[in-house]
Amino acid sequence: MRVLRKAFGDDLVRIGFGLVGTGFVALLVLLLLGLLGMKVWKLFAPYGREAIRAIVGLVGVLGFVLFNALLLVWAERKVAGHMQRRLGPKEVGPYGLLQSIADSLKLLGKEILTPRFVDRPLYYLAPIIVFIPVLVAFVVIPFDARLQVRDINVGIVLILAFSSLNVIAILLAGWSSMNKYSLIGGIRSVSQNIAYEIPLLLSLLPVILLAGSLSLKEIVEAQSKVWFVFYQPIAFIIYFICAVAETNRTPFDLPEAESELVAGFHTEYSGMRFAMFFLAEFTNVFIVSAIATTFFLGGYKGPVLPGIIWFFLKAYLLVFIIMWFRWTFPRVRFDQLLNFSWKFLIPLALANLIVTGWCLKL
Amino acid sequence: MIEKPKEVIKGAWSLILGMAVTIKAFFSPVVTCQYPRETLRISPRFRGHIKLVEDEETGRPKCIACGVCARSCPSESIKEVEGEKREGEKRKTVTKFILDFTTCSQCGICVETCPQGAITFSADYNLAGFSREDFYFDLVEEFYRRKERGVESR
Amino acid sequence: MVAEQLIEDIRTSRPGVEVKEVPYQQRGYWFDLSAGPEDIEEVARLFDRHGYYIEDVCCVDFKEYLQLVYHFNHWDDPRRVSVRVNLPAEEPVVPSISGVYEGAGWHEREIHEFFGVHFENHPNLSYLFLHEGIDFYPLRKEKVPVPEERKRLLSSLPVSESDDVFFVNMGPQHPSTHGVLRLILKMDGEYIERAEPVLGYLHRMQEKMAENRTYLKYLPNASRLDYVGAMSYNLCYVRAVERLCGIEAPPRAEYVRVIAVELNRIASHLLWLGTYLLDLGAFTPFLYAFDDREQILDLLEGITGSRLTYCYCRFGGLYNDVDEDFIEGVKAFLKRMWKRFKIYNDLVTGNVIFIHRTKDIGVIPKEIARRYGVTGPNLRASGVGYDLRKAEPYGAYRELGVEVATGEKGDALDRYLVRLQEMENSLRVIERAIKELPNGSYRVEVRKLKPPEGDVYFAVEGPRGEVGVYIVSDGSTTPYRLKWRSPSFSNLTCFPEISRGVLIADAVSILGSLDLVIPEMDR
Repeated sequence: MRVLRKAFGDDLVRIGFGLVGTGFVALLVLLLLGLLGMKVWKLFAPYGREAIRAIVGLVGVLGFVLFNALLLVWAERKVAGHMQRRLGPKEVGPYGLLQSIADSLKLLGKEILTPRFVDRPLYYLAPIIVFIPVLVAFVVIPFDARLQVRDINVGIVLILAFSSLNVIAILLAGWSSMNKYSLIGGIRSVSQNIAYEIPLLLSLLPVILLAGSLSLKEIVEAQSKVWFVFYQPIAFIIYFICAVAETNRTPFDLPEAESELVAGFHTEYSGMRFAMFFLAEFTNVFIVSAIATTFFLGGYKGPVLPGIIWFFLKAYLLVFIIMWFRWTFPRVRFDQLLNFSWKFLIPLALANLIVTGWCLKL
Repeated sequence: MIEKPKEVIKGAWSLILGMAVTIKAFFSPVVTCQYPRETLRISPRFRGHIKLVEDEETGRPKCIACGVCARSCPSESIKEVEGEKREGEKRKTVTKFILDFTTCSQCGICVETCPQGAITFSADYNLAGFSREDFYFDLVEEFYRRKERGVESR
Repeated sequence: MVAEQLIEDIRTSRPGVEVKEVPYQQRGYWFDLSAGPEDIEEVARLFDRHGYYIEDVCCVDFKEYLQLVYHFNHWDDPRRVSVRVNLPAEEPVVPSISGVYEGAGWHEREIHEFFGVHFENHPNLSYLFLHEGIDFYPLRKEKVPVPEERKRLLSSLPVSESDDVFFVNMGPQHPSTHGVLRLILKMDGEYIERAEPVLGYLHRMQEKMAENRTYLKYLPNASRLDYVGAMSYNLCYVRAVERLCGIEAPPRAEYVRVIAVELNRIASHLLWLGTYLLDLGAFTPFLYAFDDREQILDLLEGITGSRLTYCYCRFGGLYNDVDEDFIEGVKAFLKRMWKRFKIYNDLVTGNVIFIHRTKDIGVIPKEIARRYGVTGPNLRASGVGYDLRKAEPYGAYRELGVEVATGEKGDALDRYLVRLQEMENSLRVIERAIKELPNGSYRVEVRKLKPPEGDVYFAVEGPRGEVGVYIVSDGSTTPYRLKWRSPSFSNLTCFPEISRGVLIADAVSILGSLDLVIPEMDR
């Protein structure tokens, strides 16, 4: 108990125990009622398969998120190493595969410091909120023709709406740290995120027009013959640039830059709380790549292999390209970054949208 | 910024060129040496700490304990040089030669100014110790230890 | 030409100033002027009008009197002129020339805190290197306490005026200040209003150490002043003492010295390239540059035995000779290095993000460069083709010759391109030197080094600019006064001027492009 508290921090432990405790009490109540003779399973009858599917899906998603984060941490370091003509981690486990686990154990063992003058409720809330859009986005992504937790018919709107929560989380983190530099970093990140959400949306709209639906499954099905990237190359490039900017990766990683004054909005977080930000960033990278594959590269469609393997191949290829960007380019200066979005990307995306709409009408 | 299309294309092409460089490096072999599993060859002129040179005829160090090296060291790293005169010999033979390696800057002035050419650089590069006293080398002891083991380094 | 006109003007307007011609081969400067404290401002204005740049300001303590020595040089007429001013030891007061040459402002602050000379009309005569609480003047020959009325100058920072501006400390520990440099930035929102560097975090009293060691024993210290371009410092010190004593090294030694110095220059520029791009956020060119640097360091280890701080040049030649391995290694390195430039050009030079980060950032106009004493690639990027290897050739540069790279505008991109071009030029010089390497001895035996009385100034072109040493000898075996003219110090003096009204990200870019190494600044 003390170890858990030390590793995860009071707040996370409290919330975790709260959830587990509520679930336990609910199970107890059901058991009691069942023992008393009430046919409890009839409660679930109308939902039946859907409920089981929802639970299995959520558990699968959580597992996948953690596995993906571990994999990406290792992959980032290995890719960085080989691009710099050196080996990445190689000591811990064969080819350094267990390095991520070693890093996680180290982070768990760190002392969780709460600086004295922070705004406590906001400070505790920020790492939790940053994880919510990530989990929600996984619910609607189609991994295969029938491997999707829920196919909501406004799937993409759900994802985009929840990714705006990211902005709030960063702002909370920067504001509550009571640190001049974290605040500056947080504000920069917020304005960067907002500036790049608009071209993101505008570049996804032509695809939606082409597919005729907002549901992700339908968009993938509409690419049975030709992938949308051949119809909309400009939209793909704009989307990719905005995706890199949304996840705060180089060349757009000014909020996290070390060689400037600030270390970004997560300066004051240590240990597991920092790990939450970190994990959320890596999972975000995967999510934007997954959305790019569903919208532009045909999702799980492909000749011989099962759909899920195609999906992962395409998504991880895009993840590799995002990492490739990071280790090649220098940082863009902040005002140039905003100029690029407002003065270049948005007009281009709008023009693309108008041309697409016109072509479709004709 | 609103730029002309040609500049945009040129800019984008420059980015792709840069990416081509890194991806080529990605598939190239690594240039690092996996120390300590592999070691690199040390050049013979490498300046490790100093060691005494053997006199071919007598099998003893050439040093005659004159003390010129100790006087010319800028950091005063050579602490004690003592010798004794043996029976029937004209010059002294060194018995104790303490070098404080923590202040040595490997300048080579002692090697140059030695009238007998009795000091030279060794090739020891992986020295480690737990206390400062571990680096007070007695070069005479080391000399005999090296001779016994027949190895080049300690 | 220019020097004669200058001397004409000085003779007409200030007849009290004595002018003497000195033999350049023995002294390192051509004309020696002796002025009084009341003449120095007018003399400085005349120098400024004729287009001289300030090289160095030095002070020597001759016990009964203090002597200030100003060195000036000209880009087109590279004949050094030094001006001496004698001051009484008890109350040394002299007007400051920082109204004419702003670059002298920091030199005067340094002289004030080390010697106690008071400069009138100096805009900010506060402590530069030493900390508050020092109550004596360190570089004087005897311990002289600070008089009471001067103690208020011990505090170095002015207090802030309004509340809209706030101070940000780019502290001594910072990933991109390349050493322990502290910059106090007065910010107005995101823009810098004023930048005030605070030095002295790495001060090691190298100049005082020189007064307590013989010439031979001081050799290792010289390299440690700037460990990145250590060969130039080693060469500069050895050549200065050789000039003082009249020793000439054999031709083979001179050629090998040139090869070693040029290899070191390439290594220093590669390190600068890697760290500059690291500041800007690109992580891979750093490792590629270090891969190349590793080859150079292995080569230099093969002949000198050290990788970073070389103690290779000795009085009269070299420590040891070069062998066939080295020459073969250098040829292989040359062949490999010519191909590597394509990588840097593809990855960095054309990159649109890099160009946007460095174009029109930190422009140093020629006038500012002249008045602040900026030298080296920073000066050449502003369009002035002044290179000491061509203007005042020393050693084997007289036979080998060197191509000088210049830029046009003087922004950070030009500085980058000039340094890249300089690397290529160094490769050409090494090729020629290897081809024409003469046979012969590598050393002239110098048993007892007893330099005559007098002073000497020697300057070489280091990777960062003009590295100079001014030695005053009183005939004994230890120097009486040794002063280093370090290029990073003079280059940093122009930073507060050119960084007015820029963003912080640009300040990082400007600092990186100036190529500062703090140990040689702090000495």
